[in-house]
Amino acid sequence: MIKRVDYRNLTKSYGTILAGIVVTVVFSILRPDAFATLANLINITRQISLLVVIAIGATLVMSIEEFDLSVGAMASLGGVLAAKMAVAGVPIFLCFLVPPIVAFGIGFVNGWIVTKFRVLSFIVTLAMSTIIGGFTFWFTGGATVFQNIPRSFRYVGSTTVFGIPLLTIIMFALVVLFWFIMKHTSFGRKLYAIGGNEVAAEVSGINVRKYKILTFSLCASLAAFTGILMSSRLGSAHPTGGDGLFLQSYAAVFLGRTVFKEGVPNIWGTFVGAAILGILANGLTIMQVPTFLRDLLTGFIIILAVIVQKVGRDRD
Amino acid sequence: MILETKGLSKRFGQQYALKNVNLKILPGEIHGLIGENGAGKSTLIKILTGVYSRDEGQVLWEGQAVELPNPHASRRLGINVIHQNRHLVPQFNAIENVYLGLDYEKKAKVAIDWKKMRSEVEKIMEELSIEVPLNVPAMYLTPPQKTLVEIIRGMMTDCKLFILDEPTASLTDKETEILFDLIMRLKQKGTSVLYVTHRMEEIFKLTDRITVLKNGELVSTVNTKETDLAGLVALMTDNWESKKRVTDHKMGADLLRVTGLASADGKVKDASFAAREGEILGIFGLSGSGRTELLEAIYGLRKSARGEVMLNGQPYHRRTPRESLKRGMVLICEDRRGQAIVESLSIRKNTVLSRLDHYAKAGVMDSKQEISDTQDQIRALDIKTKGINQVVRELSGGNQQKVVFAKALLTEPKVFLCDEPTQGVDIRTREEIHNLLREKAEQGNAVVFVSSDLQETLDVVDNIVILTEGRTTRVLKNENLTSEQVLAHCYAGTQAKESSR
Repeated sequence: MIKRVDYRNLTKSYGTILAGIVVTVVFSILRPDAFATLANLINITRQISLLVVIAIGATLVMSIEEFDLSVGAMASLGGVLAAKMAVAGVPIFLCFLVPPIVAFGIGFVNGWIVTKFRVLSFIVTLAMSTIIGGFTFWFTGGATVFQNIPRSFRYVGSTTVFGIPLLTIIMFALVVLFWFIMKHTSFGRKLYAIGGNEVAAEVSGINVRKYKILTFSLCASLAAFTGILMSSRLGSAHPTGGDGLFLQSYAAVFLGRTVFKEGVPNIWGTFVGAAILGILANGLTIMQVPTFLRDLLTGFIIILAVIVQKVGRDRD
Repeated sequence: MILETKGLSKRFGQQYALKNVNLKILPGEIHGLIGENGAGKSTLIKILTGVYSRDEGQVLWEGQAVELPNPHASRRLGINVIHQNRHLVPQFNAIENVYLGLDYEKKAKVAIDWKKMRSEVEKIMEELSIEVPLNVPAMYLTPPQKTLVEIIRGMMTDCKLFILDEPTASLTDKETEILFDLIMRLKQKGTSVLYVTHRMEEIFKLTDRITVLKNGELVSTVNTKETDLAGLVALMTDNWESKKRVTDHKMGADLLRVTGLASADGKVKDASFAAREGEILGIFGLSGSGRTELLEAIYGLRKSARGEVMLNGQPYHRRTPRESLKRGMVLICEDRRGQAIVESLSIRKNTVLSRLDHYAKAGVMDSKQEISDTQDQIRALDIKTKGINQVVRELSGGNQQKVVFAKALLTEPKVFLCDEPTQGVDIRTREEIHNLLREKAEQGNAVVFVSSDLQETLDVVDNIVILTEGRTTRVLKNENLTSEQVLAHCYAGTQAKESSR
């Protein structure tokens, strides 16, 4: 007996991954020499590594049904702070450690305000983003930090292990770590419970406020860490260098929600989302498609993915 | 006759919400409308104000058959309603609110003529001899002032029938008097009033005649002078005696003792009771008496202002849901989808939600234990499901409620606070839940049982605490108790308060 394939169900469950595969296949056929090579694959993983790390934080915040719009500004601050410290001769491990701790504190404030006064995280973090941006600008005088950055600071962003960029390895390590946390620890369970029904979580004995604040803090730390990786890779830090990652990271999370049928923010989904965005950017660059067209296409794909999944789910 | 309904019926699905109602309202009378929750009061009002359409029967307005397809049509006839929740635009002042839905007075058909509008409103105020500040946004007005604004709005068009739905719910005694004064003046002007309330003292104070609804049917219309409280309660409720309870099981020590509890928001004013080992204690009150709020305040979900809670012989001060669970007290919420379950998560994840830390070793979930415990609960409670990973949203109401109980039972509570635990579940599950609670009580736990269904309460509980407007007034032993007696105490509570003023 031939089992009929339920196409609708298939597109609903795996539509986003399918789209990713289609995009990959198309690029591979069009430019087998430049796109479909191992070197380029490794290149893509490095290109998306920063996006993935910052998007992990966004995934956490979205899992509790909140927003943190300050991740971009936080990344900029993290990068600038680390670079300045490196220039000042602070030991490298401190350059990587201190900014995430500072960010943790700022994230704590975000979460504290949101939970204490029950205001929209959207607004609070938007304002916080402006504050951080202003501080970073004052801190740098608006100038890019690039002179006298020690080679050791650039090591993490540029070295490879057996031909694989360290950035790629860090990315995968964090993806696996946070996948495990979200999937297999009580912490992850609590976040999803809060996101699913905050009151029920509270009634069930979960300290909603504590976990919300913790989530905002973690998200901010990851954002600052992303900024450090960025300046380590570039060998310079621009006061608005991380801003561009903000929208992209939420695009990755939203795409990621559509990967599995539960429709909740999840780490592997976010990775797939970021990968699709990365593959698109990489392939279109190789095809020498102008940037504006790339942006148009990326935007359309995100809208499409979200609609397809929504339509699929509403029919249930 | 200003208004008459003939054989009026309304169905929702197979269920009659109103059945063959023949209501007559005379010109210039104040007509009380009473009945228990679900008796059909609001359905009747909604039909008369054009919100619902009727299924059968006729509405006669001044002797003429009329259609009431929408609220506007009913307002044009001269029927105005003031709902319990007032419908004012908070940012608009009284004049703007009065003219909501009316054509604004205009100069040369374009510019709004504020002066004209103001004088129109002032004219009405003078007629009714009332005073409301006209330049202040409605959000700064007091509750009675808001009611006055609505009354002015009603009187702007030629109003012949005013329907007031629980108008005193948020008013203080003094404010209530002002309102009553005004109602009497409306009456003198020849306007009829249909007055809906569950406060008996108001019914006796105000009305000329009273119509009693029960289960969607009009039981009787009586002259207020010819009846009394006992007579009305008898009309409102089927009188049945509680099944004689076997109360030979021994009650042990107090597991939960509440003394003088008041919630910060004032919904619970003064509650005291004790629930013992082996006891199912019912808390019964009319709607709005603060049943849910009382349980939430005990559990720590709602802030308390005063009062003591003793749990298991220990004083329990800083109450939070988390701490309550730790100390062995669990709350089954009334609002299942809003407060008890996470619909988007699986049965398994919901069941263990209150015990996540218990299942985690160094933060990592022990899936094996979790799965076997969930399966045990599914078996024990007979939850109908495709498997432990089925999303709770997909379950029936009864099975969802069983998941709520599974979650509660896993915390091994000594005290169960159950708020409408059988709401929206099928008859079999209802029975199962009753049995479960009895079983838990017999094992030496205490169950606090709240249901708005009096018959259910009388079937299940050992003793009943009467709660009236946030105050516990009495504890009744559930032996040969009749529904009338219980309701009489509920209503008497409001009267006692009235006379003690």
